[in-house]
Amino acid sequence: MKKKVLATLLATAMTVGCLTGCGGGAAESPAAEAPAAEAPAAEEPAAEAPAADEAPEVEAPATAEEGTDPVANLIAATTGTVTLKVWASEEDQDLTNKLLDDFKAAYPDVTFDITLGAESESTAKDTVLTDVEAVADVYAFADDQINDLVNAGALQEVVANYTFDVVNENATGAVEAAAVDGKVYAYPMTADNGYFMFYDSSVFSESDVQSLEKMIEVADAAGKKIAMDISNGWYIYSFFQGAGLELKLNDDGLTNTCTWNGPGGTDVAQAILDLTASGVLVDMSDEDMATQIAEGNVVACVNGTWRAETAAEAWGDNYAATKLPTFKAGGKDCQMSSYSGYKLVGVNPHSANVGWAMLLAEFLTNEAAQTARFEARGLGPSNLAAASSDAVQANPAIAALAEQAAYATPQRVGGNFWSPAETLGQILASGNPDGTDLQELLDTTVEGITAPVE
Amino acid sequence: MKKTINSILRHLVLFLLAVVWLIPILWLFVTSFSGYKGINTSHFFPETWTLDNYAQLFLRSDSIVQYNRWFLNTLVIAIFTCLISTILVLMVSYTMSKLRFPGRKSLMSFSIILNMFPGVLSMIAIYFILKTFNLTNSHIGMIIVYSAGAGLGFLICKGFMDTISVSLSEAARLEGASEAKIFWKIIIPLSKPIIVYTVISSFLVPWGDFVFAKLMLNSGIATDWTVAIGLFNMLGKSMIAKYFSVFCAGGVVISVPISILFLIMQKFYVEGITGGSVKG
Repeated sequence: MKKKVLATLLATAMTVGCLTGCGGGAAESPAAEAPAAEAPAAEEPAAEAPAADEAPEVEAPATAEEGTDPVANLIAATTGTVTLKVWASEEDQDLTNKLLDDFKAAYPDVTFDITLGAESESTAKDTVLTDVEAVADVYAFADDQINDLVNAGALQEVVANYTFDVVNENATGAVEAAAVDGKVYAYPMTADNGYFMFYDSSVFSESDVQSLEKMIEVADAAGKKIAMDISNGWYIYSFFQGAGLELKLNDDGLTNTCTWNGPGGTDVAQAILDLTASGVLVDMSDEDMATQIAEGNVVACVNGTWRAETAAEAWGDNYAATKLPTFKAGGKDCQMSSYSGYKLVGVNPHSANVGWAMLLAEFLTNEAAQTARFEARGLGPSNLAAASSDAVQANPAIAALAEQAAYATPQRVGGNFWSPAETLGQILASGNPDGTDLQELLDTTVEGITAPVE
Repeated sequence: MKKTINSILRHLVLFLLAVVWLIPILWLFVTSFSGYKGINTSHFFPETWTLDNYAQLFLRSDSIVQYNRWFLNTLVIAIFTCLISTILVLMVSYTMSKLRFPGRKSLMSFSIILNMFPGVLSMIAIYFILKTFNLTNSHIGMIIVYSAGAGLGFLICKGFMDTISVSLSEAARLEGASEAKIFWKIIIPLSKPIIVYTVISSFLVPWGDFVFAKLMLNSGIATDWTVAIGLFNMLGKSMIAKYFSVFCAGGVVISVPISILFLIMQKFYVEGITGGSVKG
């Protein structure tokens, strides 16, 4: 009898356990999403919460106006070890490690426990939005993610500065990219997250690279290829925007307005078809480009500063870069547009040491750090003083980016843009194999891009 | 004559299948010796050969590639998971196979149905539950996740135990042996093949798992990672050009321990699977 009771009890316990397990799951996931959804409303308290905990730290900069040193106040208010977690991209690890050592050396009176993790700037948003509380105190991300990050309450507003004036010492475009509704939420780190044309000057002359048709002709004669990641919304945008068609983010911050299927749209699609039909302009992913440039098959490519090293290595003295060329759509020359972007460093408001995290974010993005980043990795500084140095001005990739800047637009686009644009790029780059009517193709694409977000 | 043609045809088909199956593995293997670090799609065999990728893997850890550490992490997690799950599976199988109690049948069907749901369904719930206990980013948390549900996978092991004659345990019971004694002294020594099978299969789960590891180890700190996460990270957009052949080397190395384990235990393994499938 006793055994029976025990067995029944155990069985019940197990069943209940299972049910609560499932119930927990159901209850847990909306709860997990709730903070993200409510964030806009809850943003203010979230941002203030750390301030309340660490009043001396965050208030310190405010008192700076009265003549005291905010950093000294911060140090005075700190007892015990300052634990910080930092995320930097994989390529930025060595440099960031060095900067972290410098940071520790700069404040010898404080004990730090700083750990450095790896998280690519381009995927930071995905990781951050999974669980905002588990995110590093200081992390780097690309500026197109800022709306979503702010909505999720994952960025501490830059309410005050410790060591330098973030707003006035950085390029205006960079500060605008770091701001949402006029409030600055991040520290600009680089100003080079855009694309332009790399070419081998032993193949192309400076006048050749003015027009894409001419480039194709020259490359064809040389038996080489021109590479561009056409099946990628980020790059295909350059054709449509260049022809005067519009794609922009609506005021709700989620959905898009797109006129790619409007008048002239089919001309652009036809132009892309014609350009790729030559077999000289090839659709190629970034990784393939690296190989093909090194192999000598690709003599020109549309890419960004991150490929500068590969190209410079392969082409040596013939390495050159310039703005994007023009292309013919509907009989007239259109200058290809591009996206301009910035990489930013943000501070997590859930950090236990917001003050120190902000100070560290400043340290990772100040003039010295940006200069070091340019020297180590060739990335274009957003800091005005660092950007005006002779070395930066003489860098071909950054000069090309500056040239392209006149035709570039900041990357502000809703998440629904990418997949339809990628599909469109794939279809056009493969020569429209099903022979779909171009207007129909563009209509479908635009329908996908402008689809509402639940 | 007809026989020879038949045989040639058959072997041709088998050969083609083998080629299809082996080419990716061969490519991974030869690329791991490539002198070019990035991904090279225009040559199957590398142009320059080197052992440097392996040297980099083991001897030159940087802040993002810490292979030795990942290997150790994975091994520790896999060993503990393996121990705990094996014990759980054996105990549950014994209970289901040798003991008679009310509700046994329904409990059994219930757990089999429960086990059919893919574990990833409860992933988010598990993450937040463990987070409240501060067990995310911890290897203990990983071990708990991997071994907690192991008992449900008793089916094959129970099938094997059903083939052990009831008279053995009955005889022992008549001699006054407790259930524990019957389990440890009689059933376990007779179940060696199925134990080997259980050990291998429960070792493989954490060894190759990606989904849970990716979810749980979200600190971004390379020293916390398992091999699966680390290798995946090496294929990231910014890493692949510099680490692809190192990744291949890592892929080759990760298969070594498990291959050795298989070769040694092969004999028992086959016996275990076939033994377990005999209906009792």
